[in-house]
Order: sequence, then C-alpha cells, then structure tokens
Amino acid sequence: MTTVLNKQSTKDGVFDGLGRALGEYKIAALTKKDGKVLFDYVTDVRKIEQDYTPTVLSPKKFFFPQEEVILEYTFDGKVTAKTNPEKIVLFGVRPCDITGIKILDEAFSESHGDPNYLSKRENSVIIGIDCKSVCDEDAFCYRVNSQNPESGFDIMLHDIGNNYSMTIMTDKGRDFAENYFDSSLFDYAALAKFNIEKKEAFAKAGGPWEDLDNLPEIFEENSNHKIWETEAERCLSCGSCIMVCPTCYCFDVIDELALSMKVGDRLRRWDACMLRSFAEVAGGENFREEVENRVKHRINRKFNFLMKKHGQSVCVGCGRCVRACLADISPVTIVEELIKTSKTLKLEVKNNNLYLPEKVTITRIEQFTENEKFFEVEFDNGRSLGHEPGQFVQLSILGIGEAAISISSPPSYGNRFEMVIRAVGDVTNKLKTFKTGENLFIRGPFGHGFDEKIQKEMEGKHILYIAGGIGYVPLRSLINLTLKHPEKYEKLSILYGCKTPSARMFTDELEYIAEMRNNVEILETVDISEDKWLQHCGLITELIPMVDFNPDNTIAIICGPPVMYKYVIQTLKKQRLTTNNMFVSLERRMKCGVGKCGHCQIDDIYVCQEGPVFRFSDIENKEEAL
Amino acid sequence: MNKPKVAFFDFTSCEGCQLSILNLETELLQLLDIIDIVEFREAMSEKSSTYDIAIIEGSFSRDKDLKRLKKIRETASVVIAMGACAHIGGINSLRNNQTREGVQKIVYPDNPALYETNKKALPVSAAIKVDAFIPGCPVDVGEFVKVVKNLVLGKAPGLPTYPVCVECKMNENTCVYELGKTCLGPVVRAGCNAICISNGGVCIGCRGLIPNPNINSQKDIMEKYGLDMNLIMDSMNLFMTEENKAKEV
Ligand SMILES: Cc1cc2nc3c(=O)[nH]c(=O)nc-3n(C[C@H](O)[C@H](O)[C@H](O)COP(=O)(O)OP(=O)(O)OC[C@H]3O[C@@H](n4cnc5c(N)ncnc54)[C@H](O)[C@@H]3O)c2cc1C
Ligand code: SF4
Ligand code: SF4
Ligand code: SF4
Ligand code: SF4
Ligand code: SF4
Ligand code: FES
Repeated sequence: MTTVLNKQSTKDGVFDGLGRALGEYKIAALTKKDGKVLFDYVTDVRKIEQDYTPTVLSPKKFFFPQEEVILEYTFDGKVTAKTNPEKIVLFGVRPCDITGIKILDEAFSESHGDPNYLSKRENSVIIGIDCKSVCDEDAFCYRVNSQNPESGFDIMLHDIGNNYSMTIMTDKGRDFAENYFDSSLFDYAALAKFNIEKKEAFAKAGGPWEDLDNLPEIFEENSNHKIWETEAERCLSCGSCIMVCPTCYCFDVIDELALSMKVGDRLRRWDACMLRSFAEVAGGENFREEVENRVKHRINRKFNFLMKKHGQSVCVGCGRCVRACLADISPVTIVEELIKTSKTLKLEVKNNNLYLPEKVTITRIEQFTENEKFFEVEFDNGRSLGHEPGQFVQLSILGIGEAAISISSPPSYGNRFEMVIRAVGDVTNKLKTFKTGENLFIRGPFGHGFDEKIQKEMEGKHILYIAGGIGYVPLRSLINLTLKHPEKYEKLSILYGCKTPSARMFTDELEYIAEMRNNVEILETVDISEDKWLQHCGLITELIPMVDFNPDNTIAIICGPPVMYKYVIQTLKKQRLTTNNMFVSLERRMKCGVGKCGHCQIDDIYVCQEGPVFRFSDIENKEEAL
Repeated sequence: MNKPKVAFFDFTSCEGCQLSILNLETELLQLLDIIDIVEFREAMSEKSSTYDIAIIEGSFSRDKDLKRLKKIRETASVVIAMGACAHIGGINSLRNNQTREGVQKIVYPDNPALYETNKKALPVSAAIKVDAFIPGCPVDVGEFVKVVKNLVLGKAPGLPTYPVCVECKMNENTCVYELGKTCLGPVVRAGCNAICISNGGVCIGCRGLIPNPNINSQKDIMEKYGLDMNLIMDSMNLFMTEENKAKEV
C-alpha cells in the first residue's frame, strides 16, 4: 500500500492538466449531452460541468458497460476473448459512486477475476470530487457511511475555493498528479476546514443508522415481514432500480451470429433480478416467480447477502433507485457501518481468460429417449477435465449460446468425459443436429461437487442414492465411482424413478448393477407402466420404506426434478434420517458459472460456486432453496 | 443448407412495416443469403404457392380474409405476425369499442355499406395459430432481421420479456414522468431501444404488453401524476385495446 499523499493545485491547473492528458487518455467526466447531464467522454475540458446533479446512471458503465462483446468467434472454431482496455481518466466521480466502484472491484476480482472489468479498471485513473454537502433529498450516503471512501479512487479533489486540495491514494494517482497537475503550496488548514464543514453538513442531514452493523441479522429475522408484500404490490418489475444502481452487476450472456453466419460475438448485457424472466429455468419453472421474492432478493443483496461478503452496506445511498422508482419503492429503512480495513485488491487479469472456452470433439452419441441424448467428448488439446462428481461444465455452441451441463462420467476418464442432454431450448435443441466428429466448446469444470471430504465421510456408511428422471445423470458420476469399490461402504442402494419405462437411461448399466448383488441393490419405479414392466409402479417416495436402513449410519444423496426434493426429504425425515446426512444437487438458471452474473443465486448462496451439491442442513433454512 | 422460402402477406394495415423492411437495403441483401423471398407484393410481382415461412402484416378484420389466412397457415410451417396490427390488433382495433355501423359511417358517411368490415379488428392469432411475432409500429428492422435469423437457426425468436424502462434507463434518459408527462414504458415490451423516449417522446405502447404486467400499479401511477381514468384508458387502448380486454376477463 502506498501512503496517502496530500497536494494542492489551482483549479485552472487541474483543468489545464486534464487538457494535456487528453493526448494520452480518453477523459470521461460530467457533461451535457442532448439536454441531459451525464458522465460521458469529452474532447474539450471546458465542456466539463462543475455543478453536480445526480446522474441517471453511475460511472460504473465505463468498466461494466450496458453491453459489451466478451468473445469473438468464427464458425470454423476460432475463438478470441475480447477485452478492450483503453486508458481513461474518469473525472469528477462522487464519493458514493467511488464506494460503489470499490464494491464492484471486490466482486469482479474475487476467486475468478473478471477479465473484462479488471482490464478496464487497471487502465483507468479515477479522480473523485468530494461532496461538501448532501446532493439532494433522495440521497442517503450518510446513512450507510459511503460518503468518505478510502479506496476505489486514485485522487480525490476537495474544493477549497480557487484551489483543489488533493488526497492521493495510489501510485497511479501520484504519477498522474506529478505529470499533469502543477502543485502549489499545500494548505493543511484549508483541507481541515473543508473536512469540518463537510462533516457538519452531513451530520445535519443525519448520522448513520444506529443498527448499521446488524442489518444482515435484522433482515434474516424479518424475512416474512408484511412490508415485503405491500411494497411488492406496487412494484412494476420494471428493472429501473437495477439499471441505475452503481453496485448491481448481474448480466445476461447472449450469442449473436452475423448474417453471414460465419462469424459471431458473444456479448454480455446488464440484466436485472427484478425482471420476471431472471430466474426462470427449463420447463418454465421460476424460482423467483413472485414479485415479493424479487423485491426481497434485491434489497437483501444490498443489506444482507452481499453485505456479509463485502463487510459493508452494498447500497451506497446514492438515491438513484429512489429517484427512478415510479412506484416509490425505496431501500431507505436500514443502517450500517463501514468495515475497518478494506482488503487490498490485486486488479490483475489472470492468465487464462475465464470466459474462453476450449474445443472438444464428439466421440460418441447415443439416443437415450426421445428428447435425451448421450454425448461422449474429448478435449482437442488433450487435457483431462479433472472434475469431482457432481460438478458441471458450461457447454457452448458458437452462435447459439451456453448451457450448464452436469458431468455424468466418473473422474479419471482420460481426456474424455460424458454428458446426457435434454433438448429444451436453443442450445440443447441445436445439439440434436450434431454428429460424431463435430466440435463443441467447454468451460469448466465448475461448482462444488462431492469433494474428497464428502467422499471420506461416505465410507463405511449405507449410501442411499435417490434419482428422479434426468437426476440420474449427475448422480451417475458418483454412483459409478462408488461402484468401483463397493466394499468401502456398508451398502449401496440406488433408487431410480422415471415417468415411464422408456424414459430410463443407461439401461445396460442398470442391468449390470442389478446383477452385482452382495451389498449393492437397485430399486426402480415408474409413474406409468408399459408392457413388460415387472418392477414397482408409483412415486419414488414409495421405494424409500422398501430399503432397510439404519438412520444413524446412512447418507442419502438426492437429485431430480424440482418438485421431487420436498417429498423425498419429508419421507426420509419420517424414517428419522437427519438433514445433515442428506445431500442434494440443485439445478438453477446459470449464465456465467463462476459467481458473477447472479442468475443462480439462492438468498446469499451462488449455486454455481457453492453448489450444485449441498449438504441439505446447510440450506434447509434458505427460503428459496427448494 | 437449403434456404427456407419466405412469403409476405398483408391484411388490414398501412403497409408501413413492409416498407421499413424494404428500407433495410444492405441487411436485406445479406438476409437473402439465408432465405429466399418468394412473395412480396410491395417489392415484386411473382406469386408462389409454396413457402416455408409466412410473414403476415395487418390485422384480421374481414370475415372473407379468414379463408386466405387458413390457406397460409396450411402452407407455411412457420407463421410470423409482423407489426402491431398483426401482433395485437394495433391502431385498427381502436374502433373495437364502437359498433360496426358507427365505424362504417365514419369511413363512408354517405354510403356506409361500401366499407366492408367486421365488428372488430383483431390480431392474426384470433384467426390462426401464430408461431412468432415481431412487435412494433412499425417494426424495428434490426429486430426483424434478428427474429428471422433466429428462426432460421432453429432458435427461439429472442424477444425481450422485460419492459421499455430497462432500455430507457440504459440510454440514460430522464424519465418523462419527471418532466410532467406520462408513459407506458413500465408495462410495454422492450426491444425498440426506447426509441420514442430517447427522441423526446413518450412510449405509447406499440409493442404490446409484457407478460404479467402490473396494470393496477401502472394505473395508480398515472393517476398520481394527474391523469384521470378516462385518459389513462385512452392511452392504454391506443394500441392495446384487445390486450387490455384480455386482461379484464
Ligand atoms: C448445475 C446444472 C447442471 C445441469 N445439468 C444438465 C444436464 O446434465 N443435462 C441437461 O440436459 N441439462 C442440464 N442442466 C439444464 C441445462 O443447463 C438447461 O436445460 C440449458 O441451459 C438450457 O439451455 P438452452 O439454450 O437449450 O435453452 P434456452 O433456449 O436458453 O432456454 C430454454 C428454457 O430453459 C431455461 N434455461 C435457460 N438456461 C438455463 C439454465 N442454465 N439452467 C436451467 N434452465 C435454463 C429457460 O428459462 C427456458 O425456460 C443443468 C443445469 C444446471 C444449472
Ligand atoms: S449521495 Fe452523498 S456522496 Fe453521493 S453525490 Fe450525493 S452527497 Fe455526494
Ligand atoms: S424501479 Fe420500482 S417498480 Fe421498478 S422494479 Fe424497481 S422497485 Fe419495482
Ligand atoms: S440501492 Fe439505490 S440508493 Fe442504494 S446504491 Fe443502489 S441505486 Fe443507490
Ligand atoms: S420515460 Fe417511460 S420508459 Fe423511460 S423510465 Fe420513464 S416510464 Fe420508463
Ligand atoms: S417506445 Fe413504446 S411506442 Fe415507442 S417504439 Fe417503443 S414500444 Fe413503441
Ligand atoms: S453467478 Fe452466474 S451462474 Fe452463478
């Protein structure tokens, strides 16, 4: 960390300096365009507006634009990751928005770094202008303590009359100030006076909320409060609040093919958890169908889920959503306090681009059922997938899009792996036309599966696999792994239920398993029987009492269609199995697969990162889990 | 790839959508790399009896059109309703709250019977099954190309289900409610890039309602901003007479 430097320059000196910087940098600042005041690029520093009125959009758009291309590809399979970092100076950003940028810096650099955001950030110099009084009646930065950021900028200017007092926070800021700003004699007294006046003006508006620190707990306790319903009633699900928010960062990923059909782009566009389609998954099921749940989710992200992660209110009180919401829905109810030390973040782009897929060749296809096909693929670059059972990949067809697909083969399968895919939409329908020898693209493996710790825990226990329909596919990876050494377990019971006998998958394998005997058993059921079906007919829950198990030494592993979980878990509980001995694999809508886009979120959990495999006791209290 | 054959048909409409498409020029030429246009009255004279994709402009307002529509449905494997008239009835359906005789009188005061029309102007989907639609009055040509391209690729048409406000905000417009005007943006399907607001107007709903619009809240808001109920209904009915009826039942 650099030590904070204080300097001073005349205002003219600052603007002259910016004018000179125009040769090396693009300059974005507050300016007038078509009658609106907004942040935009200027080619003449005299066009920079000095009086601040809160803008419709925050300056996050320079690092995370409304829409941007992340990949370019040709149809013969050449894929290039796109980042287009330009050197920019972002001038005149206000404290609340700087706090917003700090939050986005953290969000986009944790675990997998986002190359597009970070490369733009790395190439930017952020020069803030401090607020001396509260900008308007909708702003509430002082409630969430966002008006005095200590990071998220390089230089902060404080208006002390004819001069700007400068707080220089980073090496980048120091170099910029040395190169472009003349410095006059630094006047400590003037800065002190500014700070006192600012403090007084903000204190007059009100201090931070008393319970700022406890907001996450307060939110947990009040998840059924009446206010959610009454606010939701008026909500238009119009998404405006999300579009304008400096700290919202959900996005959608879209494939766009040029009319030539030979080249295309994959782009990302702002998305919004307030929109109805945001959490819709295949089959039309929507995990956040009710407006109430969407309002709850949005506000919880600010003061609960993400607040816990960032250690500060993720709402920075800029007031934009308050101004934007026609239905007068406002987050102004809550309190928080800034976390002590902000983590120093490395704004470096990792070497391998997170969004760059790798090419695989299809080595085997089998038609399983009318809508389900089996695929075996092989990495062209010879690498092996190296997954744990329960993980998934992002499979893509250039020009169509990406889909999350579970890995069905057990680990250590050389440079090949297997998937079963049900045709439900764009990508999965297109896949039907693919033949052996053709190429697909893969990213991953992603998510948290049955890791070594869980696998160790399973040893010596009676394992109860409960698979409904296509749920057999992701479980198969673990099932086949354990079947290699059944002696490691007390018993392996596989319960498999399908709609009809012809919907069963991996029928050869099922027969093979049925013949294994000893401590391996398989029980099957179908909802609707067809000719020659000799096994059980009925719901999968009816199979559970047919297995003789000791609830104190049993682990149940469950995967199936959304409706199945509730009933299976109820039945298991009746047999006295505790929820810490149940594991579930959950399917959610996913886009990025790496904890960025927000599509898969259940309350404060990103399914794509912490799941899809969960110990049920860890999530049973999450409202949105099942 | 075998290029699918595309035919255009027009019913009760101003033909503005077809004109917009003819203005496409370069894109239209490129589009011809992936489709064959076999019937397009505005641009060519050949008539074809076979086609794969039928693009229908205009609303269904005369009984005698039913036969022609059914024929199109039988011939084409994909039927696309293009433009507000075909998609939601459009401006034509403004008259649906009046009697047929009244409407005929307005058109030909001296000889009302000359104006041959049904009681109502309805969306094409009131007559035949429609597989996809391209909203707007007139259609956005970029979206036209996108929908046709997606359908040829075997993808879903890819229309947004979110409202105009999303795009309006992305364009950083000042909300017209702050300027003392009212706007249907919160309940109308995006995809036009909020073109009317971005150019100094307001959204009058030519692209039809989003799925699950919160009509009650929209009315409350317009009321709060000073419109009385009649004006609110008028503004909502301009394009969406038929859609609003569907909401009432
Ligand atoms: C962890 C995980 C593992 C999965 N494993 C498999 C698998 O092994 N085999 C398999 O066939 N499918 C699997 N899925 C579901 C699969 O990802 C979706 O069916 C697929 O993304 C749909 O893409 P599409 O382009 O064909 O459909 P689209 O045209 O994009 O959409 C069609 C329908 O699918 C919904 N949808 C879109 N994206 C997703 C998504 N990521 N997840 C769920 N629904 C979505 C849409 O809301 C719409 O209703 C898995 C999903 C997850 C999250
Ligand atoms: S919300 Fe606070 S920090 Fe942001 S511009 Fe207004 S006064 Fe300044
Ligand atoms: S801006 Fe208001 S009405 Fe629109 S989605 Fe947000 S909370 Fe709902
Ligand atoms: S939630 Fe509203 S007030 Fe808070 S940061 Fe986002 S836009 Fe600003
Ligand atoms: S002007 Fe209309 S579309 Fe734009 S934000 Fe306001 S209500 Fe929505
Ligand atoms: S803004 Fe509204 S009226 Fe204008 S084109 Fe879009 S949907 Fe139609
Ligand atoms: S955060 Fe993008 S899929 Fe989970």
